[in-house]
Amino acid sequence: MAAKVIVITGVGVICSNGTGKDAFSSAITEGVSGIKPITIFDTSAYTAKTAGEVANFDPQQFLGAKGLRTLDRTTRLATSAAKLALDDARLEVSEENCRDIGVVLGSTLGSVKSVCDFDKDALKDGPRYVNPAFFANTVINSPASQISIKFNIRGFNSTISTGFSAGVDALGYAVDMLRAGRAKIALAGGAEEFCLETFLGFYKSGLLAGRAGSPEISCPFDRRRNGVVLGEAAAILVLEGLDSALERKAAIYGRISGYGTGFAPSGSRSLRRAMQGAIGEAGIQAADINYISAAGNSSLEQDAAEAEAINEVFAQDAQNVLVSSIKSMTGECYSASGALQTAAALGAIDKQMAPPMINYAQLDPACRLNYVVNKAKSCKIDNVLINTAGCGWASSSLVISKFKR
Amino acid sequence: MSKRIVVTGIGVISSIGIGRDDFWNSLIAGRSGISEITSFDTSDYPTHYGGEVKGFKAQDFLGAKADKMGRASALAVACARLAVQDSKIDLKLIAAEKKGIALGTTMGESQVLEKINAAWFKEGEGAIDASLISRLPANVLSAFVAEDLGLEGPNYVIPAACAAGNYAIGYACDLLKLGRAELMLSGGVDAFSKIAFTGFNRLLAVAPLKCQPFDKNRKGMLVGEGACIVALETLEHALARKADIYAEILGYGLSCDAHHMTAPHSEGIKEAIEKALKVCGLSAQDIDYFNAHGTGTPANDREECLAIKKVFGERAHQLPVSSIKSMLGHTMGAASAIEAACCCLSVKHDIIPPTINFETPDPECDIDCVPNVCRRTPVNIAINSASAFGGNNAALVLKKFVQE
Repeated sequence: MAAKVIVITGVGVICSNGTGKDAFSSAITEGVSGIKPITIFDTSAYTAKTAGEVANFDPQQFLGAKGLRTLDRTTRLATSAAKLALDDARLEVSEENCRDIGVVLGSTLGSVKSVCDFDKDALKDGPRYVNPAFFANTVINSPASQISIKFNIRGFNSTISTGFSAGVDALGYAVDMLRAGRAKIALAGGAEEFCLETFLGFYKSGLLAGRAGSPEISCPFDRRRNGVVLGEAAAILVLEGLDSALERKAAIYGRISGYGTGFAPSGSRSLRRAMQGAIGEAGIQAADINYISAAGNSSLEQDAAEAEAINEVFAQDAQNVLVSSIKSMTGECYSASGALQTAAALGAIDKQMAPPMINYAQLDPACRLNYVVNKAKSCKIDNVLINTAGCGWASSSLVISKFKR
Repeated sequence: MSKRIVVTGIGVISSIGIGRDDFWNSLIAGRSGISEITSFDTSDYPTHYGGEVKGFKAQDFLGAKADKMGRASALAVACARLAVQDSKIDLKLIAAEKKGIALGTTMGESQVLEKINAAWFKEGEGAIDASLISRLPANVLSAFVAEDLGLEGPNYVIPAACAAGNYAIGYACDLLKLGRAELMLSGGVDAFSKIAFTGFNRLLAVAPLKCQPFDKNRKGMLVGEGACIVALETLEHALARKADIYAEILGYGLSCDAHHMTAPHSEGIKEAIEKALKVCGLSAQDIDYFNAHGTGTPANDREECLAIKKVFGERAHQLPVSSIKSMLGHTMGAASAIEAACCCLSVKHDIIPPTINFETPDPECDIDCVPNVCRRTPVNIAINSASAFGGNNAALVLKKFVQE
């Protein structure tokens, strides 16, 4: 029996370079960067000073004024994106359908600031004086749970914490849940806030761009790349079986046709397997992929490993397929990245335009691929391969296909 | 027809025993693992007891490797080794990409974060030990296990708080059915967390000395720690290698209360149980043992008993329902995995572990909680119910395996 067809019928995005499906998609196509000087903390002590913050984010605009006080930023971003996705899908959660809808969110460090703040309050004032209302924010599943609470979504509620690949893994999980009949519709995506805690984690691990006089720039696959520029985002998609979408007369943006994942302690092997898995599950050949939304985040080793993996998987076709990384514009949004790339891919399919990779100027011989340099490229896009990868470790890929009746 | 999934290995590291046999013997003896907390100074707290794992030295299991990871990761890696050992599976015979892991957790590497935070708070961010950072994100838990055992297939951390073990095991079963793996290690882990201890104390949810699920005078939960990982494979795969089978996992159900972050709700609990029964093609009559979430807080036990009554009707008063948290405390993300292992051993041995510390019946919890002494009775099918912060519920159904 052929697996049930899963389509995407709603997109909600909150990102540094655009909020809402259309604004985000336009920004991506036009090569608009959301990376700017950091405003939420003083950067004078650090060599890294920029990030893709969602400037002037006002959750009230999406969620109303009530019930926001105790929600942390990741939760506010995620819940606002969920609202945008529900609206975009024209999906109303009612007493009748609330048990047929599920939520799955990719988030790994999304609660880290809440955990640190809660712990610091205890260190400062003593454990008897911390505010218990903030304790619930210390669990990693709180952003996803708050989405369910806000919109009364009762089918299932899951969180996936697989680091860089969590956004794609959450989409893969949603597809599995829908195919298993655990729900008819799923809100799936990823969310990560930008905060000092996450910044310091990457900074002190030597992963951020701008060290030792190098330019602080997000330039994936470029010879000048020297580290990551962080971003924040929430991207939530509405997924459902084709039958459900047709019954709702929903607009169909695309189809999730394949998912693959793999783990390896180092190198390109995990991403190679992830790509092969996704392409295989989609029932297509590598040559059928028109555009690769790369994991490339401007880090030295990982970008080279990804280029190597793409060259291995695509072999003689490697120089034909268009490749770009939207992280050149959004920064590395960690567990939100995969869902964000998927939202961008749906725009690319709709516009039949491959998103550009900005800041690309100098070829790195270790990363020879056919990049969409600086300007979007008009071309036929039927199948997009989404890559997510984490410094060796786990990688996951997704094939998003144009929906044809 | 859908593939059948069986449990062929059990690894447990708990306050009542390390390894399957120690754990099970303590469970049926009704032994408590609760003691005065030694992980940190509790003098500023209103309570001082918890379920810490004593006698676990990561170095004994992992040698120098243990120095590169936090306590939760070390518990997970050691526990995964125990599960593999117990399953007698030869890992070399399975392709690397067909071996995977799915782990649940509540707090991730909480102790690592607490260490980083303490240095940061006391001496400023310059004092943060950068080598600790890579040990912190929750995904390291499954990554360390995968690295240790050469698992290059699916690799997930599912942090569904206190129901995480069930979430992870359920998804691992799905992955096996989908053919994405031939062997899945799955379970849950949490190290003793000061942050969780602080939070539950502030919610006034912690008992002073002992955990008394379903008792009229129950005073709350006790924070615990531990890990449990089971080896899962398809029945076909297990039979082909002549594996010992503990139990078959028939299926699971998920639900979300969509009600409150910390207050449980009987409707959501009921829905997860009903979905699990439906998926397995069972009726409430078929359940012989209900392994309860039973945290010992007034609210949880009340709501859970309400849910049990909604699902089981009149039979709710006869159905054996026990909470092993009475012995272990609440091991957070490990809890429902440890409870799943308990169900496996229960159906294997036809013994139901007791709810210890039971003294006074509560009209609100008028169920048969198997008070204080284990019960020898045929157990064909067990259900493992778990609820979590965020209203995330999961129920897992396990069945005795009988060779046909």
